[in-house]
Amino acid sequence: MKQVNALQLTGINKSFDGFQALSDAHFTACWGEVHALLGENGAGKSSLMNIAAGLYAPETGSLLVDDNAVRLSGPRDASRYHIGMVHQHFKLVKPFTVAQNILLGLPAQPQQGSYSKRLQALEQQISAKAAELGFVLDPRQPVEQLSVAEQQRVEILKVLLAGARILILDEPTAVLTDQEAERLLATVQTFARQGAAVVLVTHKMADVKRYADRVTVMRGGKTIQTLDPQHVSIEELVRLTVGESSQAGYQPGPPPGALRLQVRDLRSPAGSGPLAGVNMRLNAGQIYGIAGVGGNGQSELANALMGLPQPTEGEIHLQGFGDLRGASPEQRRELRIACIPADRYGAALAGSLSVAENFAIGQVHGGRYGSFVRLLGKRMKQDAADAVKAFDVQGVRSLEQSAALLSGGNAQKLVIAREFSRAPQLVVVHSPSRGLDVRATQAVHGRLRAARDAGAAVLVISEDLDEVLTLADRIGVMNSGRIVAEFEHPAGRQAIGKAMVSHD
Amino acid sequence: MDLLTHWLGNAPDFAVPFALAALGLILTERAGVLALGAEGLMLVGALAGIGTQLGVGLAGLSLLAAMIAASTVSLLFALMVLVLRINQVIAGLALVFFCQGLTGLAGTVFGWTNRPVSGLHSVELWPLSELPLVGKVFVQNPLVYLTVLIFIAVVWFLQRTQTGLHLRAVGENPQAADAAGIPVLTYRLAAIVAGAALIGLAGAYIAVLSTKMWIADMTGGRGWIAVSLVIFARWSPWRALAGALLFGAIEALIPQLAAAGVRLPQYFVLMTPYAVTLLVMIWVALSSRESASQPGALGEPFIREQRR
Amino acid sequence: MTLSQPSVSPRQPLFGRRYTLETRQQMALHWQALVIGLALLFGLAICALILVGAGVPAGELLNEFVVQTLFDAQNQRAVLFQAAPMIMVGLAGCMAFRARFWNLGLEGQMIWGAIGATAISLFDIGPHALRLPLMMFTAMLCAMLWTLTPVLLKLHLKVNEIISTLMLNYIAANFLLHLVYGSWKDPRDNFPYSPPLQSFERLPDFLTGYNVAILMALVITGLTLWYVGISRAGLYLRFVDANPRVADAVGVPVRKMIIATVLLSGALAGIAGFVVTVGQEGRLTQSFYQGYGFSGILIAFLARNNPVAATVVALLIALLFVAGRNLQVFYQIPFSMVQLIQAILVICVASSDFFIRHRIRRIQAGDC
Repeated sequence: MKQVNALQLTGINKSFDGFQALSDAHFTACWGEVHALLGENGAGKSSLMNIAAGLYAPETGSLLVDDNAVRLSGPRDASRYHIGMVHQHFKLVKPFTVAQNILLGLPAQPQQGSYSKRLQALEQQISAKAAELGFVLDPRQPVEQLSVAEQQRVEILKVLLAGARILILDEPTAVLTDQEAERLLATVQTFARQGAAVVLVTHKMADVKRYADRVTVMRGGKTIQTLDPQHVSIEELVRLTVGESSQAGYQPGPPPGALRLQVRDLRSPAGSGPLAGVNMRLNAGQIYGIAGVGGNGQSELANALMGLPQPTEGEIHLQGFGDLRGASPEQRRELRIACIPADRYGAALAGSLSVAENFAIGQVHGGRYGSFVRLLGKRMKQDAADAVKAFDVQGVRSLEQSAALLSGGNAQKLVIAREFSRAPQLVVVHSPSRGLDVRATQAVHGRLRAARDAGAAVLVISEDLDEVLTLADRIGVMNSGRIVAEFEHPAGRQAIGKAMVSHD
Repeated sequence: MDLLTHWLGNAPDFAVPFALAALGLILTERAGVLALGAEGLMLVGALAGIGTQLGVGLAGLSLLAAMIAASTVSLLFALMVLVLRINQVIAGLALVFFCQGLTGLAGTVFGWTNRPVSGLHSVELWPLSELPLVGKVFVQNPLVYLTVLIFIAVVWFLQRTQTGLHLRAVGENPQAADAAGIPVLTYRLAAIVAGAALIGLAGAYIAVLSTKMWIADMTGGRGWIAVSLVIFARWSPWRALAGALLFGAIEALIPQLAAAGVRLPQYFVLMTPYAVTLLVMIWVALSSRESASQPGALGEPFIREQRR
Repeated sequence: MTLSQPSVSPRQPLFGRRYTLETRQQMALHWQALVIGLALLFGLAICALILVGAGVPAGELLNEFVVQTLFDAQNQRAVLFQAAPMIMVGLAGCMAFRARFWNLGLEGQMIWGAIGATAISLFDIGPHALRLPLMMFTAMLCAMLWTLTPVLLKLHLKVNEIISTLMLNYIAANFLLHLVYGSWKDPRDNFPYSPPLQSFERLPDFLTGYNVAILMALVITGLTLWYVGISRAGLYLRFVDANPRVADAVGVPVRKMIIATVLLSGALAGIAGFVVTVGQEGRLTQSFYQGYGFSGILIAFLARNNPVAATVVALLIALLFVAGRNLQVFYQIPFSMVQLIQAILVICVASSDFFIRHRIRRIQAGDC
């Protein structure tokens, strides 16, 4: 096999809204190989490949296809260079048929005749290619009627029929059963043996070991290392992916109290969501951390616990109250349940309103800031000022300024200040330190520990394993919509990592 | 049964403006652009049609002028929503009031108000026009027949051409269309302009062929009724045509009842189209199937590099 | 995977990737005012051109609009007279928008307000001393009832309120015609209006030539200020407007707030109808409400829903109306010109928002 570089990215830098997604990242794939791009969520793998596919423009760096430097102006351009990407989030038009969706992406060929003739010819091509790759697909079926695995096949056919020779697959097996995943990976392997270059963006070690010729590990927006997966152990791969870090920073609290929250077999109603029967017990005075790779149901679990109206089966039982799923926002306030969602600006703060207002709204209904007739603005500001000081919310030049101007960390502190204004008995936190710098993270973690020490039951859901290890007294690993393993502190990092990536 | 024959015969005449306006709206909204400016564009078409008819006297040319005028004004709307990314509801409302003001002013300044024009002679579709009871349906002015042809053409365009496919993709999932290399904004611009042409034609029909004169604000809310018709028809042209016929039949019933001697309070009768529209909206909301047929990306501006 | 950062700046490639369009984080208030001011000047310039094209001598424009209306005593009184209902519909627009409700039914609500007030007069209900307050109260009530249907339809069935309020406008207008051409027609004249209101049923002047209506409008402005600025409702409304999801999560009674505020909007429009009928016209007429609907929306839009700003803008619109009438009399410019001017101003200010929210940036050389 000729070892010529099919695709080469060097020195790529890319940031989104001030967050550095890629810093000096590089990647090389050769013709005829299956090259895995391995890393955790947020490592930068999807962003890097989106640049290769022409969807994002990098700030610096270069892209070479077949050793020629290219500058892509869009996805159409990328397909001219025979680069095709199958995304995690499919770009399919749901009401259209398979053939219509594929026709969208093909360059116009007027010599083929009228639209209906072209569509017919394409339908035949689709059936033929599908058979070649070993599956059956009805080109006349509307895409919205297809299963997720079948939709993925449509996406693959789309790029293949457009002439892709460099095939990039972004987390392809995330939505497939084991059997379907095997079929898919075997197919792409065949494709690679025929001379194409296949890039497999994934976080699944087992897939990497079985199907990849080479693997490049990314972490924190940087390329770490490229190695041969046949000559490296899974443990080593895990180490490279999740990194080395001690569990320094963990601080134990007082011995845990009585059972406070119990989640019993929480599941999404048939087929409508990823929760598949979550079981969990949380005691007062304890921090329970839920670790796991993103997309395994954490958001849905967080939403259910925070009281977002969504249908779930099972029970969320709060001692002394009952099933939380039926509680109104007023009741949740009364029960002193503090919620700190992942999306600060969408779900916790009203960005255009002032810092003081965002802080005080939690207690307005209870009458602390005056009756309906007159709002005690001064007291609101005073309380807010005290809170800003106590919780070290920085960047507040005036309490009147809009909350949207606060940086991520300070916005988070403001949310915590509001939620903790009446000593909480249950704290549900989702991705508390996402987008925060080290100082802010430490401050937030300090608050969570303080709540625990004061007797609250604290649940931390985070995709950052470091964070979970630093905070949690008990760790549950979430995988495929369930808690698949539980660990007490001190927990073996390797064991946790394995539970996160395995699937049974 | 003279009443019945006359009523059925007159219904298409009333139905055409609703049908054409709804079709124009469907074209625009299928591309994902919320079009509320129909009322205004109809007025522009109506005035331009009358103006050309008063000046030149050729009905065909007047209708064409109406289409061009409405399309030109729609460019302002396109600028607002495609380039300046103004909220599509505000832009639509502003367009309506802009057109109302503009046509009111122009109609007076140019002295076109209240001046009658000749319309078009009816064309008989023999032998169908000899049928008992429904014969009169086949004696209509040529634009009625043309409307049917236009509907067929637009449906063929949307369902059976590559360009139509691209347009629908742009309205359902602009990210997917963009990834496939389809120029989203260009398609939306074309849809706005083409849709406006049809809406302008609808307005011209009312002024040049129906009422045969210009009066300020003469569309009387028909543009808004067309907007709700589109929702009622779940964005399907043929269902919109059926709805337009329904409204046309209702409007045609009014003079027939009066002629038959049925004494109804005049203004209550005039309320009927609006009341029916309201009831239709409620019915649509209750049956709640509407959101399933709504173009997936209706009303959302298109921005490429938006992280999900 | 989403990142929640304070500033959202999606990049849109522009002109072959040499420039990008970014959203700004926040523009300082004085810069915003400057941009809007420039937009208004631009709009006014276009309107001036149109006016000149329509036959108003260029030199006369400034005279008509500024000098005559501001410095002529009779015109001053007319402006203040016109301002009262204008302020009220402007405030009505502000209230509705704060609840994210497109209340295009202001005219219909005005009509019902006027009908309610006239009914009290025609059926001679209540002692003379209390007649005026009773009429005003009935006006409010009728208008609020007319507003109840669209807001309930929106909250419970998600029926688009733009269409529902507009359709109700047309229905109300037709009902008004039914009354003034029918059972409520003045038997003496055979013109389409109701019999004149009696002297104790008219809004009096508090100073010769200056009607008490303007005072009412100022009081209402004060009340509105209280509602949105001082009362608890104001804070709730701000949350509902900024982020309904967060509002619900933190315990704001979203539904009740929306209904109450929209009904308030209707009530204000009803009072405007009362003021025009009882203060200006002196009887129920067939087209007293025309022009107020869009004016209310325009005022709320330009004033960014702030009550004090709305009062100022309403005064300027009143000025525009009076000048428009003078133009009609002296230069035969139809009143639609006023509507056109309003629309142009809205378009210009809405367009200026683009420059407030975005910034065009060059990509530095050396990028991939």
